[in-house]
Amino acid sequence: MAPTWRDIAQPMKTHAMSKGGRRRRWRVGFRQVSLGLFFLGMAWGIWMIVLALQPDSPHRPQLVKDVPIRAPELKTTRDGVLDDAWLGRMLALPVGISLMELDLEKLRERLLGEGQVLTASLTRQFPDRLIVHITERAPVARVRVGSAVASRDWLVARDGVLFLGAGYSVALLESMPWLGGIAVVPAGRGFRPIARMDVVARLLADAQFAAESIYRMWQVVSLARLDSDNEIEVTMKDSTTVVFGAKGGFFVQLSNLDYMMERLARLPRAKARIDLSLGREVPVMVEPLGANDAKKIPLPSTAASFFNVRINSSSKNQREL
Amino acid sequence: MSSRNTFIGAVEIGTSKITALIAEHNGHELAIIGLGQCASQGVIKGAVVDFKAASDCTHSALQQAEKEAGERMDMVFLAQTGGHLEGFYNEAVVNVKSSDNMIDQDDVQMVCELARSKELPVGRSVVHHIRRPFRVDGRLIPASPDNLVGQKLEVGYWTVHGQEQRLADNLNMIRGFNLDVNELVLASLASGYMVTNPEERQHGVLAIDIGAGTTDFVLYRDAAPFMTGVLPVGGSHLTNDLSIGLRLTPMQAEKLKLRFGRANVQAKDKAEKVWLDGNFAIGDRQFPRLAIEQITAARVRELLESVKKKLGHAFSPETCSAGVVLTGGTAKLAGITEVATGVFGVPAHLGEAPRWVSEHLRDPSYHTALGLLYYGLRSRAEAFPPVRRGSGFIDAFKRLFANS
Repeated sequence: MAPTWRDIAQPMKTHAMSKGGRRRRWRVGFRQVSLGLFFLGMAWGIWMIVLALQPDSPHRPQLVKDVPIRAPELKTTRDGVLDDAWLGRMLALPVGISLMELDLEKLRERLLGEGQVLTASLTRQFPDRLIVHITERAPVARVRVGSAVASRDWLVARDGVLFLGAGYSVALLESMPWLGGIAVVPAGRGFRPIARMDVVARLLADAQFAAESIYRMWQVVSLARLDSDNEIEVTMKDSTTVVFGAKGGFFVQLSNLDYMMERLARLPRAKARIDLSLGREVPVMVEPLGANDAKKIPLPSTAASFFNVRINSSSKNQREL
Repeated sequence: MSSRNTFIGAVEIGTSKITALIAEHNGHELAIIGLGQCASQGVIKGAVVDFKAASDCTHSALQQAEKEAGERMDMVFLAQTGGHLEGFYNEAVVNVKSSDNMIDQDDVQMVCELARSKELPVGRSVVHHIRRPFRVDGRLIPASPDNLVGQKLEVGYWTVHGQEQRLADNLNMIRGFNLDVNELVLASLASGYMVTNPEERQHGVLAIDIGAGTTDFVLYRDAAPFMTGVLPVGGSHLTNDLSIGLRLTPMQAEKLKLRFGRANVQAKDKAEKVWLDGNFAIGDRQFPRLAIEQITAARVRELLESVKKKLGHAFSPETCSAGVVLTGGTAKLAGITEVATGVFGVPAHLGEAPRWVSEHLRDPSYHTALGLLYYGLRSRAEAFPPVRRGSGFIDAFKRLFANS
């Protein structure tokens, strides 16, 4: 057969190319190189995946589901008392469980079920760490719940939530007053929060801050008349009863109490009742000592004497708090 | 635009200008979306004489077309002309093999191979093998002779061949733009396909494309090209004759030709003069209109008679009943159809592009580039039967790496 024009070679000769032709050639070359690199990269990636999928391959990355979780780590608030041991008991994770098998929502609910825990967040940190951040409730008082046969002490937080409490020192627990005059209502495994506990907590905090020596003597804080008379009744260890007005101004009332306690310290008495809820008028009722004691100390003619102290705000006797 | 569409470039490297068209082909339709043109340099009578100059012009036209289209060409169809192109006819006859005389594919293939098997002189390459209709026992078969019954199967090929170096020059110019030539089409076939319709080709028609440096012609008979030819004479020779005859520069002669040239003499008054520029500036002078017309008319007649002479016995008014169709830039010369009618003895008219061609491409000088697209696509479809374009990953991968 005779040769045709298709048999004529069409060689690429740079010197025969114009500027436009060279530009076009570079563009095509660049495109081909880019595509080549892209496909090489893809091939390499596929090869690595294939290698990784080999059961005995050293390239095989450890799958998260195959990595057993380490002991969960607790990160609590600065004044928190809970520790990793408590967390371990609470979560009770099965041995050898992996991070991806955990139901974080359920675990969080379990933690929040404990009244001591105010907030909780659980974070997976791959490959094998579970970090738990919690904020704790701080107890302000104690309450004994139960019958005469079996009773149990609960702690009460500022928001009125009752919880059993874990990790607190005995000294701390014993320093807290008891709550009285309340009826706790069961709810689930615990009890409903105590209403208006925020007011009581404020009184306790103010007392702890401003008159710690007096606060240490508080034994029972009764909320019996809180709703009806807006009064909080505190019974001290020396049987003195103090009535606080719940409208506020606890610092002033505590100041008056301090003043009254100083004055009462000089009187021989069995019991005293100090009513601070009336403002500057502080009625005080003092009960005399028993018959034996009466011989030693001269007593007023009546069984119980009342006096009313008017406290002037400008009085030099009023202790500056 | 769809990524499956093909952007085809059609390039005509002419003596006076280089034209590049870009068309978007979606497998069914062709839409022309870009045109680039550049005044030709380094090309004389259709042959490249200054590669660098011609290459720069061609690339400029290609860039312009791509810029206008906003797309890059995927393939190029190139028009081929030039005085080096020649043609010959060769036919072959085979006896039908089968005992029942039914022609099968093997018979057809064998007769075609035999008819195309004629050797060429050294340094020549085939540009086209143009098949004429088959004959079965002397009976004309316009379509395929498969399954027809007969004893003798005949076919003839008009083979167009050219000098290998000249063909390579054109191919290398396109290659210099980082494109491969996918189809090389004889300029006469391209323009002839555009200005004649199937009916004319069936009845016999002669299409003559008179360019600046060459005149390409194709004679159709029985709906197929019967004979083609190229004369290295064109409109620039008219300019040259005027330049010598009237002692003018080529530019001045070209201007006179365009303004006053005619293919026949109309002027009666020898004293009638025309101004060269008509602005009465220094250097403007007068020339007898009769002399201008006589020079151009003589050259046009000579040109057309040369075409007729080259056609020889292949042309006769009886076998060319659809007449003569003239196209190309020089065909715009006034009175040329009358002269062609006189020379060939059949009605002649100026070729027109089909109606669907947009207005700015209807000028006769674009007929070759337009025809290239259509004829090129058709001949490519015949040479490479369409295969389903793969839509799989491997095919997409191949297409990504396709050149350009």
